[in-house]
Amino acid sequence: MEFTWTSEHRDLRVAVRRLMTTRAPVDRARALAADGVRHDTELWATMAEQLGLQALDVPEEHGGVGGSLVDVAVVLEEMGAVLHGGPFLSTAVLAVEVLRELAPVADAAGDLLGRIAEGGATVAVALAEDGRAWSPGTVRTTATGPTSDGAVRLTGTKQLVLDGADADLLLVLARTDAGARWCLVDGTADGVTRERQEGLDLTRPSATVRLADAPGQVLGDLDGVAVADRVRSVASVLLAAEQVGAAAEVVRRTAEHATTRRQFGRPVGSFQGVKHRLADMAVRVEMARSAAYWAAFQERGSADLELGALVARSYCSDALLQTAKDCIQLHGGIGFTWEHDAHLFLRRARLDATLLGDTRHARERLLAHTHPDLQGVS
Amino acid sequence: MLLDLSADATESEAFAAADAWLREHLPDDVLAAALGAEWDAVTAFLDDEERGAAWYAALGAAGLSTPTWPRELGGLGLSAAAAGGVAEAVLQYRVGRSMTDFVGLALGGPTIIEHGTDAQKERFLGPLARGEHRWCQLFSEPGAGSDLAGLSTRAERQGDGTWVVNGQKVWSSFAHLSDFGLLMARTDPDLPKHRGISYFLVDMTTPGVLARPLRQMTGDAEFNEVFLTDVHLPPEALLGEVNGGWAVAITTLMQERNGLTGRPAVGEGRSDDLLRRAAETGALADPVLRDRLLLLLVEERALQMTTVRSYAEAGRTAVGAEGSVRKLVNAQIEEETGALAAEVDPLGVLAWPAGEPTPSAAHDFLAMKTTSIAGGTSEIQRNIIAERLLGLPKDPDPEKDLPFNQRARTT
Repeated sequence: MEFTWTSEHRDLRVAVRRLMTTRAPVDRARALAADGVRHDTELWATMAEQLGLQALDVPEEHGGVGGSLVDVAVVLEEMGAVLHGGPFLSTAVLAVEVLRELAPVADAAGDLLGRIAEGGATVAVALAEDGRAWSPGTVRTTATGPTSDGAVRLTGTKQLVLDGADADLLLVLARTDAGARWCLVDGTADGVTRERQEGLDLTRPSATVRLADAPGQVLGDLDGVAVADRVRSVASVLLAAEQVGAAAEVVRRTAEHATTRRQFGRPVGSFQGVKHRLADMAVRVEMARSAAYWAAFQERGSADLELGALVARSYCSDALLQTAKDCIQLHGGIGFTWEHDAHLFLRRARLDATLLGDTRHARERLLAHTHPDLQGVS
Repeated sequence: MLLDLSADATESEAFAAADAWLREHLPDDVLAAALGAEWDAVTAFLDDEERGAAWYAALGAAGLSTPTWPRELGGLGLSAAAAGGVAEAVLQYRVGRSMTDFVGLALGGPTIIEHGTDAQKERFLGPLARGEHRWCQLFSEPGAGSDLAGLSTRAERQGDGTWVVNGQKVWSSFAHLSDFGLLMARTDPDLPKHRGISYFLVDMTTPGVLARPLRQMTGDAEFNEVFLTDVHLPPEALLGEVNGGWAVAITTLMQERNGLTGRPAVGEGRSDDLLRRAAETGALADPVLRDRLLLLLVEERALQMTTVRSYAEAGRTAVGAEGSVRKLVNAQIEEETGALAAEVDPLGVLAWPAGEPTPSAAHDFLAMKTTSIAGGTSEIQRNIIAERLLGLPKDPDPEKDLPFNQRARTT
């Protein structure tokens, strides 16, 4: 049943919050970005050794702890609150979700899940091409000549690859003669060029990955587009939890500012123009939280998970964008400065709203899901 | 006899038990009509004076109209979530109590349970549960809307302990059809406005009570102005303490916000009907309208998920503010639904054959501002959310601590 919270959920939240607020506060994310250091390897090791976070979404048969979607959502929410940009989303969520799909048909996928679970490998998911963030059906990167052991050569260009410049391995969606397939590529192999990108979101690094006859391995014989679609559903729920965490933090900070900042002899939060905008922000966060966790409490692969994922994808994306904008508005001039964190949240909001495909298309898919008979009416 | 069901029952257990009871006790012809989706026949059954009354009496005696009330008071003692299962079971046959009973069942009952004497509970709760009494709210006044505590209807205690009430109330839904009213009146004008109010349970047949229906902008006449002229009330009409009426009213108001949001279930709603209508009229092919309709669908589903969450987490969230969140969003959805109803069928809402009832799209368009005003305006809800959920300063009220009779007159 939805929203049956356990003490394990609470303990996990407390532990992750403590780790993130002490070791990875927003200041730290900002400093890493300024130094061009994109990955805090010590934090990554602590996550694995002390909390086992990388193992949370990995099934037990592959060496993970087989946590629930709600568990992972709680972690993402806490990471969203500090705008964490480390490889957790790329490796422990996106790559793990792809590998979970492939593991039944590819031993290498199962093995890699085990390595991720123990914090031993970072893996980036390379899907986007041609200005489309998540459109698996239009992928043009090719994987030629699968040999009997699955070896292929890949050629093509992938964009917006989260953690793409630093990850040990790349999971690449590419076309073979048999259709779209997921392939594993070593990040340092010959023919792989990785270009760090300047990003709108300063706290979450991405790269362009160019593959020129690069060696790789096909992971099983599953339709890669179908896998990508299923991965998007689960990832949408988890990304929504990150959006909830960020939006809630934005509202918390804005409310604090409105309570302490005084003008005309009163806290600015006592003026209804400010107060009511803040109330609307709080409403968006509450609604977003309901949507993200209602979805997270559904069973994987169920129609309700798909429904929740699509609602959350649209609602939580818009909610974070709007609250991040309102945060800047209610902070006034100080909120428009580089030093203030407000813009970092707006930057993250824009990235998250695009990352798994834009929200208008999520709503079209929602129509197809809830009213298949009306879908074609256009 | 009360339904045999543990107070710890889950939502699905409650649904199953209620469903089994309904299938056993609904008259065969009504059950068949409901299963065949012949809703006109079901409505005719409920509207039949004898059969309808007998049905509501049976439903009430089983506790199915009041599942959250304690068992000793005629309820089933269920959690809000499990009670949702009962509501769901009743709703599938559409044989539950009508909206005209909302004030009594959702507001009056819980308020009496929390603040009433044993005698008041004994007198009122049973008939309420069985559908024998209809209730209305006598709260708002021409000079006291959002500032409800500024009400000026007077109740003066007589030497024999009885009360005499004089004043005017307004926006009282179904007052002209009601047996009893929930009344707030000023009992001590020397005290600041919140502290001199008492709460009464008023027999609407008492001499001096006059309910006059007001025609609303939709053309309906659902709410009333109610004139109270030398209305004599017995001592036992008082609910709670003398001058302690504001606290009692808060119970009512929180129930009201909570109740104006719908059931805790995720599924078809108003946006789905509108989408189907848009497919018929061709409006769904317009990319701008299409996305507005889909945004409405998202918003409505997210609100449903929030209601599910509220029921599941009941008791652990900031009570009051959380109900205001849902009420505010519901008002926004209603407004957008009404606005879109006209966009989806632009000519159909403008004109229809003489003598035919107003099309639902035209009604929805005209009724779109209902919830953003009724039960506390959206502006008041935003104040509550900002103050209770975010801890922002309360709105300044220079008259808050002034004796009521020293404040400036309002009009």
